[in-house]
Amino acid sequence: MIWVEILSRHRDVVSRVRIAGDEATIGRGYDNDVIVDDPYVAAHHLLILRDEAGQLVAKDLGSVNGTFLDGSKSRITQLAIDGGKPLRIGQTLLRIRTGDYAVESERKVLAERGTLSTVMVAAMTVIVLAFIVLRVWLAQTGEPRLSHYMTPLLTMTGVVLVWVGIWALVSRLLAGRSQFLHNLMIALVAVLVSLLYNELAKYSAFGLTWRVPVDYEYAATWLVLAAACFLHLRAISARGIWLKGTIVGALTVLAIGVQTLQRSEAFSDLGRRTTARLLLPPAFRTVPLRTPDAFFANVAGLKASLDADRRQVKHSERPR
Amino acid sequence: MDCGDVLAAWFAILMRGLWLLVSVAIGCAAAYAAPAQIPGAEAVYATAPPRLLQIRTLVAGAGQQTSYGSAFLVSADGLAITNYHVVSQVVLEPKTYRLEYTAADGTHGEVHLLGVDLPDDLAIVRIDKHDAPFFTFDPAAIHGDVPKGERLYAMGNPLELGFTIVEGTYNGLVEHSYIDRIHFTGALNPGMSGGPAVTPDGAVVGINVATRRGGQLVSFLVPARFAEALLRRVREVKETPDLRAEIGRQIAATRKSLYRSLREQGFRSVALGPYRGAETDAPWFNCWAQTNAGVAPKPRFAMNSTSCNSETSLFVASDLNTGNIQISHSYVSSTELNEFQFATYLAQLSQPRLVGGGPYRKWYTPERCREDFVGSASAPDRPSLRVLWCAQAYREFDDLYDVVLVAVTQDNGSEALVSRLSMQAVGYDDAMDIGRRFLDAVRVGK
Repeated sequence: MIWVEILSRHRDVVSRVRIAGDEATIGRGYDNDVIVDDPYVAAHHLLILRDEAGQLVAKDLGSVNGTFLDGSKSRITQLAIDGGKPLRIGQTLLRIRTGDYAVESERKVLAERGTLSTVMVAAMTVIVLAFIVLRVWLAQTGEPRLSHYMTPLLTMTGVVLVWVGIWALVSRLLAGRSQFLHNLMIALVAVLVSLLYNELAKYSAFGLTWRVPVDYEYAATWLVLAAACFLHLRAISARGIWLKGTIVGALTVLAIGVQTLQRSEAFSDLGRRTTARLLLPPAFRTVPLRTPDAFFANVAGLKASLDADRRQVKHSERPR
Repeated sequence: MDCGDVLAAWFAILMRGLWLLVSVAIGCAAAYAAPAQIPGAEAVYATAPPRLLQIRTLVAGAGQQTSYGSAFLVSADGLAITNYHVVSQVVLEPKTYRLEYTAADGTHGEVHLLGVDLPDDLAIVRIDKHDAPFFTFDPAAIHGDVPKGERLYAMGNPLELGFTIVEGTYNGLVEHSYIDRIHFTGALNPGMSGGPAVTPDGAVVGINVATRRGGQLVSFLVPARFAEALLRRVREVKETPDLRAEIGRQIAATRKSLYRSLREQGFRSVALGPYRGAETDAPWFNCWAQTNAGVAPKPRFAMNSTSCNSETSLFVASDLNTGNIQISHSYVSSTELNEFQFATYLAQLSQPRLVGGGPYRKWYTPERCREDFVGSASAPDRPSLRVLWCAQAYREFDDLYDVVLVAVTQDNGSEALVSRLSMQAVGYDDAMDIGRRFLDAVRVGK
C-alpha cells in the first residue's frame, strides 16, 4: 500500500491518495493514478514502482520541468523513496509513504496548560494592577481623584490586552494555538519587572545616592521588553531559538543605541538631564551622613569638570 | 530690537518691571548767564542740539539698524558718553555690527568705541568732530549733593521721533539698590538711553538709562560721577583694550565685590516652624512671604515660604542678564499626606532649576550636580540634610558660574524645610564659602 500526499507550501497535507498496488503514475493527465492540477507538471510526470530489491522508487517520465528533492536544485531522474523529504514536480510538493512508515510517537498535551492555571494569571493581574494603584497613591499630593487611578489602570489594561492579543493571534496563525494565558503571563511579568526596577532605581537614587539605575532606566525598559518578545516568540515555537534570540538582541541594541543618541543630543541642547531628582521618606537613607567638609570637598572637585567643559566648548567654537 | 528692555534686573520691586532705556541731552553750557529767574526748558534746550547725538547699531554687512540710542558730547575733541547697552552688540560682536552717529543737524559718521563700564551701563565713544560744543558735569552731582526736588531736563531721541527735552525732578538715589541709580521722575522713552539729564544750568547730573514698566514716570539715571570717572580712565589709557575681554573682567570684578558684600552683611536667622534658615541682612534684597493657608480646595499640607531676591542683575547682552542672588526657604508640614506623598511633594519643591540669564547654548556649559546626605550626629540642633549642588560655567567668562544649592531637612518624615540659594555669575570659591555658611545656618529646635 502506498500513500501519495500533496503538500501545501507550509508542508501541510492538502490531499492524499491511497494506492492499493505497488505502482502508481502521477501527472496532469486523467489516466494517472494521482492527478496533479499544476500547469508546470507533465501529463505523465512521475512513476512510482518497486524495483527488483523491493525498494520503492520514483522515476521521472521525461518531463520538461523535471523532478527535484524539496530544497534541492539538482534534477532527479530516479530516486529511492524513504518517505522523509518531499519531492517537487512543477510547483507541487509530493510526499510518498508506504503503509509501514513509522510515525512520530504521541505528543503530550501542552505542559503549560496544566501548570499555568487561570487562577495564577488572575492573581498576577491583581498584583500588577494593585502595584499601579499603590504607586499612584504614594505619589498623590493633591486632591484625590478617582480618575488619577482609573486612567493609568485602564491604559495599562488596554496596552497589555492589545499586546497579548497580537501575540496570541500570531501564535494562533503560526503554531495553531493562541496560548493566551501563557502570553498574558509573559506580559504581566514584564510589566511587574519594569515597575519593580523603577522602584529600586528610585530607592538607589535616594537611599544610596547612586543615580545610574535612574539614568539608564530606559535601557532597562528596553531589555525587559526584549526579554518579553523573546519569551513570546519561544512560546510560538522552540525552533530556531538562537536565530530569534539574535534578532531580538540586535533590535534591542539598536533601540537602546538610538535612544542613547537621542538623549545625548537632548542633553547637548538643554545642558541638563531631564530625569527628575527624587526624594523618599528619610527612613530610606541607607548611606551614612557625610560631614559638610566631605560634601564641600566633593563639590570643590566639580570645578575641574566645569572648567574642562568650558575649555572644551571654547575649543570647539569657531575662532572669533 | 527694542533697546528698551535692557536693564532688567537690578532693582527690586514686586512687579518684575522691564526698564526702558532712555537717553537725554542737556542744552546749556557753563557760559549760560544765570538770570534772576530759573530758565525754562526752552532755554535749556536752546544750545543743546549740537551736543546731542543719536547712536545707531548697524549690521555691518547690510547697513541696516538693529537698535538705537542717544549720546552726548563731553569734550571738544569728539568724546561722547552713552549707555553700554546702546553699544553692547558692537562690544560683543565687533565683526558683525558697527556704530554710526547722527547729529541734530543731520550729519552722520563713524563711531569708535573707546571704553565701557558695564556695571554702570556706560560707554565712551569718539566721533569725528572737533571744536564742537559739549556738556560739562554738574559739580554738585559729582559730590552727590543735588537737592531732592531739583528740576532736571532729560534729553535724547525717543523712538526716533527727533531730539526731545523732558522735564522732571531729581529724587535722590534709589533706595535698597545695590547699584547707585538716580530716581528721576520724568517720562523717559526707548531711544533716550545714553542721553544726558541736566540741571537748569545745563550741567549733567545723570545719564538716562531705564524706566520702570508698570510705574508712572518712574525713571532712572546713572549718576554723572561714574561717567566722569570713566572719562578720566579712558583719557589716561591711550590704547583701547580688547573690550570683549574687558567686560569679562568687569563682570568678574563687580560680582566679586557683590558676593564679598553679601558675606560681609552676613546671614541672619529666620524661623520657619521648628526650623531656622539663613536670610541676608543686606538692604538690597527684596523679600516676600508666601503661604498656602488660603488656598481652596484646602491643600493636604501647610506651606510657608520666604523668598529674597537681590535684583542685582547686570545687562551683559540683549540675551543675557545675570548676577542675581536668590535665597528662599519653604517650611512644609503634612496635614494629610503620608510620608511617601510628602516626599513626592518635597521632590517637586526641591528640583534644582538652575536658571540661567540667557540661552544655554550661547552662554553656558552643561549643568553638573552633586547630591548627598549631609549632617553630623554630634550636633543635635543640626538636622541631617539632603543637599543638592548644581553648577554651570560661563563659556566666555573664566571663573564665573551659576550655582544653585538646595537643602531638604531629613529629620522628620512629615515636616521639612527646603532651603534654596541661587547665585548667578559667582566665583566658585565664593559660591562654596557662601553655600557653606548657608548650610551651617539650617537648624532645628526641639
